[in-house]
Amino acid sequence: MSLVSSAIAMAMAMEDTLEFDCSVYSNNTTTTTSPNEHDYGCNRRNWPPIDNWEALAGHDEFKDLIESMMDDEGLNFNLFPSEVDVVEGGSSNSESANMMAVDDETNNDDCKGLRLVHLLIAAAEALTGVSKSRDLARVILFRLKELVSPTDGTNMERLAAYFTEALQCLLEGTGGVHPKNLIGNRPQRDEQHHQAEVLAAFQLLQEMSPYVKFGHFTANQAILEAVSHDRRVHIVDYDIMEGIQWASLMQALVSRKDGPPAPHLRITAISRGGSGSGRQSIGTVQKTGRRLISFAASIGQPFSFHQCRLDSDETFRPSALKLVRGEALVINCMLHLPHFNHRSPDSVASFLSGAKTLTPRIVTMVEEEVGPIGEGGFVGRFLDTLHHYSALYDSLEAGFPMHSRTRALVERVFLGPRISGSLARIYRARGDDGSNSGGSSGEWLATSGLRAVPISFANHCQAKLLLGLFNDGYRVEELANNKITLGWKSRRLLSASVWTPSDSDLYI
Amino acid sequence: MFQHKKPSTMNSHDRSMCVQGDSGLVLTTDPKPRLRWTVELHERFVDAVNQLGGPDKATPKTIMRVMGVKGLTLYHLKSHLQKFRLGKQPHKEFNDHSIKDASSLELQRNTASSSNIMARSMNDNSHMVDAIRMQMEVQRRLHEQLEVQRHLQLRIEAQGKYMQSILEKACQTLAGESMASGSYKANIGSQGLPDMGVMKDFGSPLNFPSFQDLNIFGGDQLDLQHNMERPQLDGFMQNNDNICLGKKRTSPYSGSGKSPLIWSDDLRLQDLGTAPSCLGPQDHDPFKSADQIQLSRPSMDRSGADIDSISDIYETKPALQGGGDSMGEKKFEASVKLEKPSPRRAPLPTERMNPMINAGAMPQGRNSPFG
Repeated sequence: MSLVSSAIAMAMAMEDTLEFDCSVYSNNTTTTTSPNEHDYGCNRRNWPPIDNWEALAGHDEFKDLIESMMDDEGLNFNLFPSEVDVVEGGSSNSESANMMAVDDETNNDDCKGLRLVHLLIAAAEALTGVSKSRDLARVILFRLKELVSPTDGTNMERLAAYFTEALQCLLEGTGGVHPKNLIGNRPQRDEQHHQAEVLAAFQLLQEMSPYVKFGHFTANQAILEAVSHDRRVHIVDYDIMEGIQWASLMQALVSRKDGPPAPHLRITAISRGGSGSGRQSIGTVQKTGRRLISFAASIGQPFSFHQCRLDSDETFRPSALKLVRGEALVINCMLHLPHFNHRSPDSVASFLSGAKTLTPRIVTMVEEEVGPIGEGGFVGRFLDTLHHYSALYDSLEAGFPMHSRTRALVERVFLGPRISGSLARIYRARGDDGSNSGGSSGEWLATSGLRAVPISFANHCQAKLLLGLFNDGYRVEELANNKITLGWKSRRLLSASVWTPSDSDLYI
Repeated sequence: MFQHKKPSTMNSHDRSMCVQGDSGLVLTTDPKPRLRWTVELHERFVDAVNQLGGPDKATPKTIMRVMGVKGLTLYHLKSHLQKFRLGKQPHKEFNDHSIKDASSLELQRNTASSSNIMARSMNDNSHMVDAIRMQMEVQRRLHEQLEVQRHLQLRIEAQGKYMQSILEKACQTLAGESMASGSYKANIGSQGLPDMGVMKDFGSPLNFPSFQDLNIFGGDQLDLQHNMERPQLDGFMQNNDNICLGKKRTSPYSGSGKSPLIWSDDLRLQDLGTAPSCLGPQDHDPFKSADQIQLSRPSMDRSGADIDSISDIYETKPALQGGGDSMGEKKFEASVKLEKPSPRRAPLPTERMNPMINAGAMPQGRNSPFG
């Protein structure tokens, strides 16, 4: 039974305290997976050898993952509820032991969570590992689907549901192409209904978590400081979305005390050709523009709005941008807020390199923090992605502990598609060493010769104050003098950094 | 700062290790008594120095005369003046500034304790300059933090207002689809009165765009829920859940024991390490118009009576299911919420999608929310 033994081997590699749970887990596995195995006539020789597991799982990451799962629901996990273990050891169906108290149910949840993680890793491994077996992957995914639902159960169960779906898509070769169809085979919703959902989910996301505001406010503060004495400001926004970022900037410009009264603000939104989803079409950008114009008028901010289309392959031509002499140029690049669509690194790079030639005053960058790309290949990055999203799920749960259905909306609208997209990308990139797809755009900026602009005390302070409005688990970290990150517990999720072209003499 | 400060304002810490003289002087209990330069004493010293034309003109002797404190010797003043000349004005400026201007208790406490530290370190004949500089820095940062806090709130409000405009537009399109907007508002107005109090309770201190408004999408959400769960679920259970949504604004805080809904003038500023749980002054939300409040009312409905009335509509007038234009007063309410009971009917997938919702979710999304 090499799956079980591998699991135990992994457990041994982990902290002693976790060992016990894992052995409980393996009891369960013994009873649960073996029938499936026979049913599907899997070839046991395809089970991966233990060594691979150890190498691929990456103990530290895995430990973190387990820890973040333990933090699930903010309950103190009781590591050694001995009675439960007796019960579980005696009967394979622990749920039937109805004398269990609440603590024990929590324990069951955690056990199940752990089991799900193991199964997901096993599936990812079967899909791509050395001794890869699509049949095995199919069996494991089938089993996972029995265990989880995207709308029910604990965080880990819902999360596992999306990962299962995403893996299933990879297995069937449809990875990430139709994220809307992923969960539940619903009838295709009409676009308007989808828009309403997106809006509701966006609102919830903002309310539940500081991610959106952190990105926007940190970038805005840096912009405000950089243009504090300018009379004309021109912001080129790579992905304007609903335009909500600029409401607070306008407010700040209007109310700034020193310097000239409300500078003229011009925003150029980068738009994509019509082939993308409805949200990103030119029409959407126009709608955002009208909304921003109305908003600016309502608070007395001189404002104008423009669009600049990317070429059909999403590359950026600086010449397409209308520039006016005397304007302070700001490049704003919001990349991976939880509700944003994914942008290809090539497109972002073309935008940034093009923008750099325009010698902007500053470049503000907000992006997802991903773990270091180690030797783990697909499974290592799979684990990292799993860790990332489990932290995200947990943070949302802490925001709205009792309302899993509300969270399920946000998860379905934003996070589910993101998960399948992420997995599809790391699946496609599994052959290379990570040099192409790995680096963050911030690193790209640094290597392409931009200089760091220090994040001010006020900006840092603002981020901390903002997090103070949400749950305790959020943290701000200063990774470099020009970069702060927002994390949930020990996991960094989002970073904001500020840059300037090195030939600019406005910063010393 | 020229008024005489009573020595009794000295804090207990000083008193415990010092002997307070009748002239207000505090001497240490060492075998060899040294003078403790309390904040008050130092203030009088600074006053005297200023009267005499600054630290460079004043001499220990003239200062002793101007201060007129019994027990203060030339020797004390000499060494203190020396230190004062080194440290110069910062100390005075700081005292001047903070205690009088600061509005917050914490700020005062913070300042007071650090000035005690400073007074002590001055007595220790070392680090005085450092202490003053440090204090200056702390002071500057506290002020900056206050500013940031104020700005942050304004920014959150601005974002909230903007979000509101998006949501409002969506609501309008939703409402406009099923009926004339006039009857929509009138209808809500007649329904929503009991909820005004609730609205106040959940008023928008942070102006996070309110959840109530989300509920205007009631139809959609219910629809979502249908899709997310087994349709056999009782419709009114769902309604309850949906109602909870309206209350959720508070929950991000209740979980962590923070209560930003309680806004006081007392700005809780703490060290930067622990961000304050509470943002500054409680401006009334300048953006929330009466219209918006009205718009959001139906969502705040969580009275049983209201639910009953809906169910009545459903029971007695099932024709409403279609969101028919012929219906009267409660048209909007009905067409939005009616979907809830639909699982009780034969749940044909196509029918479960309320026609009104289908068409009305964001049918005119192309329009600007500002019209």
